[in-house]
Amino acid sequence: MNTYYAANLLIYAGIDIIACLALNLQFGVTGIVNFSFIVFQAVGAYAAAVLSMPPDTANGGFQHYIGGYSLPFPAPWVGGAVAGGLLAIPVGFVVLRKLRSDYQAIALLVLSVIANTVITNADKFLGGAAGISLVPPPLSDVINPNTEPYEYLYVGITAVCVVLALVVVNRVVNSPYGRSLRAMRERELAAAAIGKNPVQLKMTIFIVGGVIAGLSGAILVGFIQVWAPSVWLYPETIILFAAIIVGGRGNNVGAILGALLVPVGFEEVTRLLNNNASIANLGPPGLIPALQWVAIGLLILGFLWFRPQGVRPEPRRIFEGGPE
Amino acid sequence: MSSTLTAPTDKPMLVANDIHRHFEGMHAVDGVSLDVIPGKITGLIGPNGAGKSTFMAVLAGTLPATSGTIVFDGEDITRMPAYMRARRRLVRTFQLPSEFAQLTVLENLLVAAPTNRGDSLFGALMGKRYWIEDERRLVGEARSLLKRFGMSAKESDYAGSMSGGQKRLIEIMRALMLHPSLLLLDEPMSGVHPKIVEEIQYYLQDLRAEGLTILMVEHELHMVERLCDTVVVMAQGKVIGSGTMTSLRRQREIVDAYLVG
Ligand SMILES: Nc1ncnc2c1ncn2[C@@H]1O[C@H](COP(=O)(O)OP(=O)(O)OP(=O)(O)O)[C@@H](O)[C@H]1O
Ligand SMILES: [Mg+2]
Repeated sequence: MNTYYAANLLIYAGIDIIACLALNLQFGVTGIVNFSFIVFQAVGAYAAAVLSMPPDTANGGFQHYIGGYSLPFPAPWVGGAVAGGLLAIPVGFVVLRKLRSDYQAIALLVLSVIANTVITNADKFLGGAAGISLVPPPLSDVINPNTEPYEYLYVGITAVCVVLALVVVNRVVNSPYGRSLRAMRERELAAAAIGKNPVQLKMTIFIVGGVIAGLSGAILVGFIQVWAPSVWLYPETIILFAAIIVGGRGNNVGAILGALLVPVGFEEVTRLLNNNASIANLGPPGLIPALQWVAIGLLILGFLWFRPQGVRPEPRRIFEGGPE
Repeated sequence: MSSTLTAPTDKPMLVANDIHRHFEGMHAVDGVSLDVIPGKITGLIGPNGAGKSTFMAVLAGTLPATSGTIVFDGEDITRMPAYMRARRRLVRTFQLPSEFAQLTVLENLLVAAPTNRGDSLFGALMGKRYWIEDERRLVGEARSLLKRFGMSAKESDYAGSMSGGQKRLIEIMRALMLHPSLLLLDEPMSGVHPKIVEEIQYYLQDLRAEGLTILMVEHELHMVERLCDTVVVMAQGKVIGSGTMTSLRRQREIVDAYLVG
């Protein structure tokens, strides 16, 4: 296993962990079925890209996008996080205020599809279907990105972001505020009857989750240096939901485990199978990626049927000094 | 100056005026007016489907009124959302179990406390040290309620695993954590063990002695007789009579409509 491969794996793991922590906060803890989660990661990536890139007239003007501010790190990442949060405001305002929660899920799914279609077809806006390429890696003016130390550096910055995200979600989930979120998830009307404002709670968590998702997108685009509609199709959200369901809804450790088992694990297994020539040549081309979707579907169904609480269930809170 | 002439306790705490609530042409509540006098327990009785629960929901704001006005503590709250009414100490319970199933019994009580510094995004992000004192105080308060209702041993069990009667108690305790000034109880005794019924009854009397005002729907007429200072009778969405239980028993049409048969 070479360094590049190890770094690659760690960075992807970090990004998936951050995304899963955010989705767990929204879905596992608060009960918002955010089927457009990947759009928030995407907007963070686009924002970080155009903030860090020069105007599109550079590089011979072969691609078209708005902005181009050549901002130094960490401004593009902060911008990506802010963009995720900002997007959550209008979306939450339309979707979370009035609709019933099952309709919310459908509305968010539709939004994900529409957003992808619009960005694909608006080719002057964010590169259209071809997307944006040559996104400068963070700190590339300080240290050569094609070196081993840079790989370590990127792993390091990603790890810092993972810790940051973990501290935020842990503090929220394990606080009295997190308890209010869980109560609302359990029974919204009763929560309102004891003074909780469901719309405000959901809006807040939608925005917090959007910020964290945006950050994950910024980290991802800084690493892969390209961004296009094909990497944020709505099924990507389903993979993250699978991770939360497998790991354990409402449990942050479960979300981390889920991130490692599902998105990271599946990518790795697929890659290994594809690398093995005798397996990769079985059946028609594209069979293994297709089977990956079948496997994810079966995984979700299997867990919902046999272990709906996931590998690590939501912890039962026991207070000191009680009886027994 | 004139306010000193009328005893403040005689001024109604809540005035509901000509409340209507329709469900697609079905007049569940059909022009109900009612005053709730502070420091007293008002009973609301009537046959099944009379509209009692619907009326309580309209008062608490969990259902909007089709028309009519509600004034609480001198403020028109007709259009106020339920959570704001709860923060103004107008608190309801539900006729059907409404516990937070995946929270423990103790958490069901704690979550209702209105004064926890950790119960905001900011407070949560500040970390445990910022709110732990509030939390400790509230755990103490919640535990003394649990003790009073004989549920101490259950504090760490999930509320969803409790019996129907225990869920009812959890809901009453949860409402009390809000320190209500007006408590709306929808059949608080149904499904509760007789021993606990007595406990609830004493507790409600204590609370009234401490100045809490209660409006309660109750089917058990002996309980109504013992607890309630005045009783309002509803049938088919309308108020058909009110007064003390003794005076109501003398009114023929009320007896016919509800008290017997
Ligand atoms: N959400 C609703 N949609 C349609 N009809 C409703 C709804 N809620 C209540 N009703 C109807 O309104 C009428 C009054 O119901 P409500 O529950 O207020 O009666 P109640 O006096 O509390 O009866 P009970 O003693 O059985 O609890 C009933 O006929 C009921 O079917
Ligand atoms: Mg009822």
